[in-house]
Amino acid sequence: MRLAILGAGPGGYVAAIKAAQLGAQVSVIEDTEVGGTCLNRGCIPTKTLLATTELLHKAKNIEEYGLEISGQIIPNLSKIMERKNKVVSIQVKGIRSLFKSWGINLIEGKGMILGPEKIEVKKKDGSTEIVGADKIIIATGSRPAQLPLFPFDGEHILSSDEALSIKSIPKSMIIIGAGVIGCEFAFIFSELGTDITILEIMPRAISLEDPEISEILERELKKKKIKLMTGIKITEVKGQHDGIHVYLEGGKEFVAEKLLVSVGRALNSDAIGLEAVGVQKGTKGEIVVNEKMETNIGSIYAIGDVTGRLLYAHVASTQGKIAAKNVMGGNEKMDYGVVPYAIFTSPEIAAVGLKENQAIEKGIKVKTGHFQFRAIGKAHVMGEITGFVKFVSDETSDRILGVHIIGPHASDLIHEAAVAIKSGLKTKDIADTIHSHPTLSEAMMEAAEDVHGEAIHVPKK
Amino acid sequence: MNPEDLKYHKEHTWAKVSGKKATIGITDYAQSALGDIVYIDLPELDSTVEVNSEIGEIESTKATSSIISPLSGKVIEVNEELTESPEIINEDPYGKGWIAILEIGDAFEMDDLMDASEYEKYVEEEKK
Repeated sequence: MRLAILGAGPGGYVAAIKAAQLGAQVSVIEDTEVGGTCLNRGCIPTKTLLATTELLHKAKNIEEYGLEISGQIIPNLSKIMERKNKVVSIQVKGIRSLFKSWGINLIEGKGMILGPEKIEVKKKDGSTEIVGADKIIIATGSRPAQLPLFPFDGEHILSSDEALSIKSIPKSMIIIGAGVIGCEFAFIFSELGTDITILEIMPRAISLEDPEISEILERELKKKKIKLMTGIKITEVKGQHDGIHVYLEGGKEFVAEKLLVSVGRALNSDAIGLEAVGVQKGTKGEIVVNEKMETNIGSIYAIGDVTGRLLYAHVASTQGKIAAKNVMGGNEKMDYGVVPYAIFTSPEIAAVGLKENQAIEKGIKVKTGHFQFRAIGKAHVMGEITGFVKFVSDETSDRILGVHIIGPHASDLIHEAAVAIKSGLKTKDIADTIHSHPTLSEAMMEAAEDVHGEAIHVPKK
Repeated sequence: MNPEDLKYHKEHTWAKVSGKKATIGITDYAQSALGDIVYIDLPELDSTVEVNSEIGEIESTKATSSIISPLSGKVIEVNEELTESPEIINEDPYGKGWIAILEIGDAFEMDDLMDASEYEKYVEEEKK
């Protein structure tokens, strides 16, 4: 089996290794760097910056922990970026060496599908290589979406890609979009000292999440003096000598040194030759695939962001493993039912399964349980008491339908719920499981107990 | 301990009316039940607030709690000092820990509030 994979992001590189493990002869075509958006322009670099700003936040409040510091704590952006680049390059090298160990052929250049079994690669040195394959997996990913009103210029109007390589800390920044990316950047830059204003069309921040979580996050933004304007409409954006001016419907005007546009992602399904071979695309430009990750063309599969389902690295990787197995004769199907995810704001947000309103819309009678982190010892030990765990359960069967967390280490805590939901467990199963003390996981147990009004660390109602 | 010149709401807020203005805050019982206050979400300046409705939120190390307005009116002043030092509410709930000043409309809303001795009895009942 000769397999060619277009794109070496978290979808493509995982598919490559899985297929190689199963005995395929694999070529991977990548025009930037292995690891894709996730590793080079997304998850990993932003979380590295966040590690710095979280430490900075603690350092600013160091006296709370009984420590004294003589002198100032000064963020040095070039050193911060240096660390970020180092973290990224370690991971890049890791993927490259995995490729080498599995005998995967990495071809660096831009790929174009010429036929159902043929890809042309324009290499960086100007030469062209034709790659023949029995099967092709498309994993070309996505990029920051651009709006006509504010085209990226890399200088004043930035995409998230460009915000990750700025050279100095801006005095002020307007962020368009209070979604995941906008909010994550808001906390990072705000901690570095940038005056942030977020403008959002929707009525609340992270509008796809549980409204109770948005409410807490909005309050945390307020605590950090990050301004948030929701339900707005932008009429004009103008660059002037004193910065970028943003005009809103109704006459309001904002000005800042930089404008960060985070209004979603555009799918990389153009200019890769799909039309020539007749690969079917949907209305958003997504490549249409079935649950086996097959496109309408027998030899061609697609995975990751370009399939337009859930734009998460871990979904891309899962799709990648499934596609690889199916390429090698398997019959694996993708299940989107239990996909945990995390948002790395301060505090973190994480969720898995159904939201309360989604469950109600499905006609399910739900019961919820809440538990605040400030009621457990470990949160106070850490000095991070904001947030809660919310369980959404089926009232009749007691099965856990969804869990939503805002609070310290939400991104780690959520996986207990993911396992529980995937295994069809009941709220009582979590409540009756001993959770070790003193840990944040006690909040999971108590929130589960609260579904039945049985939490211990909650005053009598 | 609860000042005689204030009026009290069952959601543990107080109002001190002078003419068309009312200063509002949370009661001593509320602050002690909450414990160490770490953050207050103040009502918005110039906004109109309704009696019995949430006008802000208080976070303590133990709980988060809504601030329920004892009266209707327009917020003409907020105690900005609380943003930096919310613990003032614990220290002096009826004085420096005031939350906002309202320009009030309907005087009859006052009739629904309790005086100091009524509020004390009410709190005793709540504690049971």
